[in-house]
Amino acid sequence: MTFVQRLHPFHRILHVFMALSFLGLVASGMPLKYSHAPWAEWLVRLFGGYEGAGLVHRVCAVVTFGYFLSHIIYVVYDIAIVRHFKFDIFGPESIVPGIRDIEDIYHNLKWFLGEGPAPRFGRWTYWEKFDYWAVFWGVGMIGVSGLTLWFPEFFGQFLPGWIFNIATIIHSDEALLASGFIFTIHFFNTHLRPEKFPMDTVIFTGKMSLEELRHERPLEYRRLKEGDALEQYETPAPSVMFILVSGLFGFAAVVIGFFLLILIITGQFFS
Amino acid sequence: MDKLGRVIIQVVSILIYSAVLFLTALPSLATDDCYSCHGRKGMPFYVDKTLYEGSVHGKFPCTACHLDIVKYPHGKTSRVDCIICHFTGNQGAPRVRDFRLSVHGKALAVGNTAAPTCQDCHGSHIIYLARDDRSDTARLKIPSLCSRCHLKEYDDYRRSIHGKMLLERHDARAATCFDCHMEHLIPKTDEETWKLELIKQCGRCHTEQMNTYRKTFHGKVTRLGYTTVAKCQDCHGAHMVLAIKDPGSTVSPANIVNTCRSGNCHPKATTSFTKFYAHAEESNRARYPMLYYVYMFMTALLVCVFGFFFMHTFLWAYRSLRERMKRGKEDLR
Repeated sequence: MTFVQRLHPFHRILHVFMALSFLGLVASGMPLKYSHAPWAEWLVRLFGGYEGAGLVHRVCAVVTFGYFLSHIIYVVYDIAIVRHFKFDIFGPESIVPGIRDIEDIYHNLKWFLGEGPAPRFGRWTYWEKFDYWAVFWGVGMIGVSGLTLWFPEFFGQFLPGWIFNIATIIHSDEALLASGFIFTIHFFNTHLRPEKFPMDTVIFTGKMSLEELRHERPLEYRRLKEGDALEQYETPAPSVMFILVSGLFGFAAVVIGFFLLILIITGQFFS
Repeated sequence: MDKLGRVIIQVVSILIYSAVLFLTALPSLATDDCYSCHGRKGMPFYVDKTLYEGSVHGKFPCTACHLDIVKYPHGKTSRVDCIICHFTGNQGAPRVRDFRLSVHGKALAVGNTAAPTCQDCHGSHIIYLARDDRSDTARLKIPSLCSRCHLKEYDDYRRSIHGKMLLERHDARAATCFDCHMEHLIPKTDEETWKLELIKQCGRCHTEQMNTYRKTFHGKVTRLGYTTVAKCQDCHGAHMVLAIKDPGSTVSPANIVNTCRSGNCHPKATTSFTKFYAHAEESNRARYPMLYYVYMFMTALLVCVFGFFFMHTFLWAYRSLRERMKRGKEDLR
C-alpha cells in the first residue's frame, strides 16, 4: 500500500509533548477546581499533596509554553526562511480558516441530515482548523491567567488584586472548556468516529495511506496529483512496530482522558 | 413485644438506679451531720444547704460523691472524681472522654497542677446545667469563666466584635470561647485538624463568607486538607476579630497590606495586590460587575462551543453509522 507523508516530524513531536503536558495539567489542576468532589483528596494525594500537584502543574505549564513558542518560531522560520514569504495564507495548504470552511460546515451539516452529498475536503478540514486555533486561544487565555496566579505578587504591583479573581474564573472555565472539548469532541473527530475507530495514528506516524487521502481529502489528492507533487510525498508504509506503539500511546491517552472526563462530570454536576 | 421489652428495661433501670441511690445514702453518715459543720457560714468548705438542694445534684447526699468520708470528724479528704458517675456510657460521659483528650485533660494527666479540673469550671457543690443562667458555664458567662486563667485572650476577646456582642449586648448568638475551641474537646492550637475544623466553625454562622471563601484558592486548598494557606483566623485574627469597617481591623485598608505580608504568605504584597476579593461572588452583578461580566462571557463561550460541537458530533455519529450499515447491506448483496 502506498503512503503519503502528511505531517512533519516536528509537529508530531510537539503533539506528543502537548498530549502529555495537557493530561498532566488537567489531572493536577482538577483537584483544586473540584476540591469539593469525593475524589479530590485522593487525586491530590497521588501527586503527594497540593504542593506536589502544584509542581506538576507548573512543570506541565512550562512544557506548554515551550511547545507553543517553538511552534511559533517554527512557523515564522518556515514562512520566512524556507518559503521566502511565498505562502498563500488562504491557499489550500494553509490552516487559516476562510469562506470555504463556512461552506464546508454548512454542507457537512446537510450531509449529516441526509440532505446532500458529503463535502470534499482539502488538506485541512474546518474541525482541524478549529482545533488548531483553539489551542492559540486556550493557551493564550489559560497561560496568561495562569501566570498571573503563579506570580501574584509580581502582577499585584501594577494590577489591582481583583484580576486574580478574574484570572481564577478564566483559568477554571477555560480549563473545563479545553478538557471537555479534547476528551469528547477532539477524541471523537479524530479517533472514535466509525471511520477511524479505535485510533488514527497519523498524528504519530505522520503517514496516511494514499487510499485514505483520496477518499477523505479528495481536493488535496487532486491538488498534489495535478501539481505532479504526489511522488514527492510518497513514502513507505510505517513499520508495524511504529503503528503499534503509536496506537498504544494514543489509546492510553484516550483512556486516561475518559477517566478524567468522568471525574470532571461528577465534580461539575454532583456537588 | 418490643414495647413490653422496653417497659421491662425501663422498670429494671429505675429499680437499679433507686437501689444505687438508696445504698449510697445508707452509710452511717447522714447529710445533716455534714451541715452541722459545713452548713455554718465561715466554716471551711461552707455549703449553702438551700442553694445546694436547688442545684443539679441537690438530691444526692454528700457521701454520694465524698466516698472517703465515713465518719466525723474527719481528716483530710481527697478531691471528688466526677468519673464515679460520669463514666463512659453514663449520662454526660462523652464529655468526660472529650475532656481527657483535651489540652486540659492531657495536662492534668501528666500532673500539671495549673490545669483545670471539672470543678474549676463547673464549680463544686452548687452546680447548674449549662443552659441554666445561674451556671458559670452559661453561654453568656463562658468568656469570664475562661478568663480566670486566660486573661490576655479574654482581654482581646472583650474588645472583639464577638466579645462586644456577647458581653455588652448579651447577644448569645455571638461566638464564645467554646464555639472555636470546642468546649470539652479543646485541642492544642497547633493541631492541623483543628485548624481546618475552625473554618467550619466560623462557617456555621458566616455561611456566605464561607461559601465565597471556598471559591478561592485559599478555600479550596484548605478543603483538600492542607493548612499552609490563609484560613479565617490568619486574615481576621483570632481573639480580637474586629468589624471590617473598624480601622483597627486586620483587614482594614490601613492594615491589610501587613496582614497579607504576615506569616510569610505574600511578603511582597502591595496596596494594589490587596484589592483581591477574598470573598467574591461572581454572580453578584451589583457588587462585582467585572467578575460578573467575565463569568457571563465564559459561560456563554462554553455553552456555544459545547452546544455546537456536541450537536455536530451526534449528527456525525448518526450519519457515519447509517452509511456503514448501508454499505454493509450492499456488501452482503
